[in-house]
Amino acid sequence: MNGNEKQKNIRNFSIIAHIDHGKSTLADRLLEATETVAKRDMEEQVLDNMDLERERGITIKARAVRLQYKAPNGEDYILNLIDTPGHVDFNYEVSRSLNACEGALLVVDATQGIEAQTLANAYLAVDAGLEVLPVVNKIDLPSADPDRVRNEIEDVIGIPAEGCPAISAKTGLNIEKVLETVVRDVPPPTGDANAPLKALIFDSYYDSYLGVVVYVRLMDGTVRSGDRIRLMSNGKEFDVVDVGHMEPFGLQKCDELCAGEVGYITASIKSVGDTRVGDTVTLASEPAKESLPGFKEAKPMVYAGIYPADGARYGDLRDALEKLLLNDAALVFEPETSIALGFGFRCGFLGLLHMEIIEERLEREFNLDLITTAPSVIYEVEKRNGEIVRIDNPSNFPSPDEIEAANEPIVKASIITPTEFIGGLMDLCQDRRGISVDMKYLDDTRVELHYELPLNEIIYDFFDVLKSRSRGYASLDYEMLEYRKSKLVKLDFLLNGDQVDALSFIVHEEKAYGRARRIAEKLKDNIPRQLFEIPIQAAIGGKVIARETVKAMRKDVLAKCYGGDITRKKKLLEKQKEGKKKMRQLGSVQVSPEAFMAVLRLDDDK
Amino acid sequence: MMKNKKSLGIYLHIPFCIQKCAYCDFCSFPNTSAELREKYVDALCRDIEERARLCRDRICDTVYFGGGTPTLLTVLQFERIFSALRENFDISPDAEITVECNPKTADLGYFCDLRRLGVNRLSIGMQSAHDRELEALGRVHRSEDFFRAFADARRAGFDNISVDLMFGIPYQTEKSFKKTLEIVTELEPEHISAYGLIIEEGTPFFANREKLVLPGEDREYTMYTEAVGFLAHRGYKRYEISNFSKPERESRHNLKYWQRDEYVGLGVSAHSFLCEKRSFAPADINAYMRGQFEKGCEEISENDAMSEYVMLAMRTVRGVDLNVFYDRFGKDFDEMFADKLKPYRDGEFVVRKDGSCAFTDSGFYVSNEILSEILDFDQTY
Repeated sequence: MNGNEKQKNIRNFSIIAHIDHGKSTLADRLLEATETVAKRDMEEQVLDNMDLERERGITIKARAVRLQYKAPNGEDYILNLIDTPGHVDFNYEVSRSLNACEGALLVVDATQGIEAQTLANAYLAVDAGLEVLPVVNKIDLPSADPDRVRNEIEDVIGIPAEGCPAISAKTGLNIEKVLETVVRDVPPPTGDANAPLKALIFDSYYDSYLGVVVYVRLMDGTVRSGDRIRLMSNGKEFDVVDVGHMEPFGLQKCDELCAGEVGYITASIKSVGDTRVGDTVTLASEPAKESLPGFKEAKPMVYAGIYPADGARYGDLRDALEKLLLNDAALVFEPETSIALGFGFRCGFLGLLHMEIIEERLEREFNLDLITTAPSVIYEVEKRNGEIVRIDNPSNFPSPDEIEAANEPIVKASIITPTEFIGGLMDLCQDRRGISVDMKYLDDTRVELHYELPLNEIIYDFFDVLKSRSRGYASLDYEMLEYRKSKLVKLDFLLNGDQVDALSFIVHEEKAYGRARRIAEKLKDNIPRQLFEIPIQAAIGGKVIARETVKAMRKDVLAKCYGGDITRKKKLLEKQKEGKKKMRQLGSVQVSPEAFMAVLRLDDDK
Repeated sequence: MMKNKKSLGIYLHIPFCIQKCAYCDFCSFPNTSAELREKYVDALCRDIEERARLCRDRICDTVYFGGGTPTLLTVLQFERIFSALRENFDISPDAEITVECNPKTADLGYFCDLRRLGVNRLSIGMQSAHDRELEALGRVHRSEDFFRAFADARRAGFDNISVDLMFGIPYQTEKSFKKTLEIVTELEPEHISAYGLIIEEGTPFFANREKLVLPGEDREYTMYTEAVGFLAHRGYKRYEISNFSKPERESRHNLKYWQRDEYVGLGVSAHSFLCEKRSFAPADINAYMRGQFEKGCEEISENDAMSEYVMLAMRTVRGVDLNVFYDRFGKDFDEMFADKLKPYRDGEFVVRKDGSCAFTDSGFYVSNEILSEILDFDQTY
């Protein structure tokens, strides 16, 4: 069978859904149902193979698996299931995974109905030209209302949903219907196996034995071991070591991959930075004329300073970041120094979730205690001398007299919420300098709000407040809109008269005073008393706008004698001494790393 | 009699209590049987015999019964212990012999018996003159018990009585503490100890710490400062962070700790310091009664000896006597510590004068902070 014939029985599809609507559980069931994985061998949610992902219940990296399905009509099908990240920070990766498919199963929770990411992902799939096939899940729950949800899908998204499978991924009910739908309604791939190679990279990861493993969907052409491939975005060339398929239990080599197929390539590639998602792989000997459309360099939106709590571990932090880089093409970092915190790195992330994940991995996998500054967005500042600078570190923000105009990134946000929380959420958006765009009723209980919001207001605990004001029911999705001029100021903090650079941040003029007061208070509550009184000051451009005082230590004495137990006293002094070693000296003031973090993670605006 | 023998203090731990106070983390056991207490005294006497063998060359000038509540022992039990002590140790005829006492557990007869046995000093745990505060502390006695006990002690002939007080305790105010001080000083004990409450892990106070109604750090500071002034005015000079006395009525036994003089500790969890070796007995009463009298020990390095000396001496108002320091260690105190102490002298927490180096009033309050900075121990824990 030549490449083009094989295609008839291939189905490339993805599962898209809002968080917790059952995407991963459905994937598990599909694996079982195709007998690709025996039930007892299933470790729940095989596709989510990072511990972190399992814990947080979210998929971070796209994964793909090849299912073999014997249909009732006796024919054998290859179903390539390409999993997608479920979070707004990773939209680009979602769209590239979708581009590797012809169809997408849109899973919607039968009790919750359509939510923000249901829509966002559905639109992405439609934009990518996919057949979007709705599946209503969780019908085992008492409040499930599949008909209502089907109507919602038709009304809101505009795709036919009548008679679409109503399933319970949890119990396994009607899973065969999903498989039948995939076979029947997902178009087989097309593409000419004899044309010049055009393969879309939709994911990659670093393996210490194989080097980078590149996941590809071949659009045209054929690739074999020994071929010399070229990555079209950067022109780099590599010799293919192996090609193969992603079976549930591991990589399975094969002779060749042809147009229409999904598989992997290894080519002794050292860095995932070289194999960017969305890039096109072609042959050096017969390169494709044009690369596949839609390739974008992943651009960090959020920056933060990451420092080792113990300055002596700077080298460990650097090594850890470099290891993470092996598997994270979006992460960027470069060394930076802070008078307050010493030597560290300025790191760029796709968003807050990306940042949290990196922090957690550094702490957990590499056993590092970290101090991170508050996250910052990238500001564009037009200076009086005509220079335009991009600022990712508040400490570098030019002084007021140098600034002609300052611009901040604005995003388009959509919030889906039950109607009873509209008031609280609109207040929240307004409070965060949001501009209302429109409001749409999805049905009589839920509404979709569209706002334009400054990104720096969103990274600052917006999501948490949104959740708490809506008892967890509201959902948020956003994407970059544009830069707009804004009255921005740099807020500085001084301890005992010394400015602590790591505490500075950029804030809108309107918000400066409130923010200053809250942080000053937090500092006061978190800085331990020391021998002398410590004045805390918040200032803009040298002018103090808020102050607090940490009172002097009043009691740090061992009153009692303990009947001659001198050792106990010694232990106590020793413990104190050890404790102080962990403190950071901010000017003349000692602050523990925990205190520092407590101050930066302001979260009391509920 | 020629006293060319080195002196030694003796501490005995009696770990029995009627009930445990809410703040107490000492080694003490409520609800013990008479049988157990008798067996304990047996073990204590054996401990005395064994330990004394290492101290033949010593003259004991202080004896101190602490606990728990030593006054839960019967007079007979005290007799046995004193017998053993006098048989095995060389106790100086003018030794200071102290017994800690809970006001609820001793009466006139008991006090007379103690006097007969040679006890010449009492330390009575009053803590507060206010019943509400006593109740919150979990004390079994009330103020009237204390007044009666104090009167009885005087009638029995005790002319060296110390009273323990606490401040920074639940429900206490500056005013109520002042009142306690007034009441106590009216009675004119020879010695007063005033301890700031510390919430220790493992105590009921610790478990309840979120709910405790405490004066707080700043008010404690005021209470203490006012106490120092008030007591001075009434003739009680502070000689150590927590201890005040009439002239020549300092606690000779406790001074041994602060002057880094030697002592043996007998009984469960008791600590000893002899020949630059610190040792301690097990806290497990069964192990102790089976004859395990020493659980662990450490040899003190020269560096640590000096640091200990500074740590202890600076608890006293006199501070470190530079000559004594030189006599003991052959080192110049200023050479070793002057640099480290400079910022604290500049800040007026420490003062160097009259051949001594001591904390000032404000320095006392933050002595841990300062000592942890200037002292470095070899021994890590």
